[in-house]
Amino acid sequence: MSALKSCFARGFSHIYVEEGVEENPLAQEILSKFPKAFKVRIKHYKDVFCRPRQNFLVQESSRKLIIAAKRGELLYPGPDVCQDFGNENFYYTSPALNCIYSCEYCYLKGMHPSANLVIFVNLEDFFKKVEDLIKQKPVYLSISYETDLLALENIAPLSAAWIEFARGKENLKMEIRTKSANYPAIRHLKPADNVILAWTLSPAEVIKKYEKNAPPLELRLRQIKKALGDGWKVRLCFDPVLYFEGWEKAYEDLIGRIFSEIPACGINDASVGAFRIPREYLKRMRKNFPPSEIIHYPYAERGGVYTYDEKLKGELLGKVRSLLKEHLPEEKIFLT
Amino acid sequence: MFYIVTAYHAEARPVIEYFNLKKVVKNSRFQIFAGSDVVLIESGPGIVASACAASFLLSEFKAEDKDAILNIGIAGAKNADLKIGDAVLCHKIIYHDTGRAFYPDILVKHAMKEGVLETFDFPVAKEDLPENSIEGDMVDMEGAGFFEAASFFMPPHKIHCIKVVSDYLEKVPVEPAFVSRLIGDNLSLIRDFMLSLESVDSFFPRGLSREDREVIEKLAENLKLSFTMAHQLKNLALFYLSSHERLPEELFDFLNVRVNSKREGKNCFERVKKLLC
Repeated sequence: MSALKSCFARGFSHIYVEEGVEENPLAQEILSKFPKAFKVRIKHYKDVFCRPRQNFLVQESSRKLIIAAKRGELLYPGPDVCQDFGNENFYYTSPALNCIYSCEYCYLKGMHPSANLVIFVNLEDFFKKVEDLIKQKPVYLSISYETDLLALENIAPLSAAWIEFARGKENLKMEIRTKSANYPAIRHLKPADNVILAWTLSPAEVIKKYEKNAPPLELRLRQIKKALGDGWKVRLCFDPVLYFEGWEKAYEDLIGRIFSEIPACGINDASVGAFRIPREYLKRMRKNFPPSEIIHYPYAERGGVYTYDEKLKGELLGKVRSLLKEHLPEEKIFLT
Repeated sequence: MFYIVTAYHAEARPVIEYFNLKKVVKNSRFQIFAGSDVVLIESGPGIVASACAASFLLSEFKAEDKDAILNIGIAGAKNADLKIGDAVLCHKIIYHDTGRAFYPDILVKHAMKEGVLETFDFPVAKEDLPENSIEGDMVDMEGAGFFEAASFFMPPHKIHCIKVVSDYLEKVPVEPAFVSRLIGDNLSLIRDFMLSLESVDSFFPRGLSREDREVIEKLAENLKLSFTMAHQLKNLALFYLSSHERLPEELFDFLNVRVNSKREGKNCFERVKKLLC
């Protein structure tokens, strides 16, 4: 693999900047962190992000950065395949597209035509939309679905900006989901009551095999512990739960380890979801990616979504739920 | 395979010599030269000619995603930041007439400079144009047409324009021998870039081999599988290959099976599925 690294240009060797955002302070902050990168002016982020025939797999080895402003729709209703944790008015927003990690099962590989990372710097427009919405009704908002926002914090401090925006807004509850160990980047902030930091956790063997570039379990747990100690609301996400040889033992070990290191009483809640993916995304992944135990697994299709057959799905969810019930009250465990 | 498009013979000549290419007799208006892993076409000047030549080359030689296509030629630089003789890999190519821009994916390391190319429909002399009317670092008459045409066939990390600076857009003719020397002097840099492009694919595992595909197709035919079942079979083969070096030997036994009805085929397919799961 060292030969592979040596032939690729470094990540973010090129930064594409949309016309009109050059003077945006966040854009300037991001650009200042990459003084050696080629800055390429573009008219619209889709001119680069949506080019035909891009090779996602190869691009992952030399991701480029696109800085843009998002126009049109900025908030979307939460999709059925995602857990709303009993909240009404579930929405999500995408301050960035794509992720610096390369998880083999990630639906972003089938959703986007490019592995390049897009950061939208017109934060005020996003905030305005949310403010308008929460004037009408209470809103549960997830801001890290199409990216890992906390992992990007050293490039663009978006999590911090969103937390400060959300602070004190009674009609807004916000989730920031992450696999990162980058909690220190927001540790200077006072915890916000209406913000939940949600960590996705997987068995160590899954992280090693399928979550390329993502931090190991040990580092994630260390940051969870710090966040809990600082007073943050923390959610544990076992999503996706994957089927593989030895999965039962792997999840037993995972949950045993988590609660040997983290006090269960501090956990806000937990979500458990079997691997599932919209048909079109999986179709694209199967076409574009090499043989994979996850991508090419013979899933069952229901309502345009591929997942494990009912029996296996029931076993996976049942097992993880029963393991969690040893540590958390049932009402804190949400199944998808 | 590498495909190379040049506008003029003076640009092509050093490439032909460097890669030891031989003239190919083809029933076409283009001059084509080929070696074991490089094919070159001389398009003539202009974006339409370059687009036609790129399309012809990629169609005629049945280019695949693992191949790459380069436009190699000279260009005039807007200012002295670029030196005469500099080889420049273009990270943005603008068609001046429409303002449309194209972006090659520069994923591999290289030792060339980088810049923006702007393609005009006419020869450009800086003194004839209003100030600030050139956005690019360099000017040519082919790049945008070449890139747009090649984009119909190839992924953007396999399409590149490499321009060698020949002048500063003054009204001074550039001699063919000088052009050949400029291109020739940069061919080792260009070859290194080509080797990097080639090596990218070798690092990534591929899907089904041609032999595997033939086996799957033959099985689908023998077992009278529906389109959906054939698709499932292909997916199962990929699933199997995710944890095995090759398809199971027992699968090949089914190549000798001929079924007489769809029901019989379905039964056989269930056995095949068990082999691959």
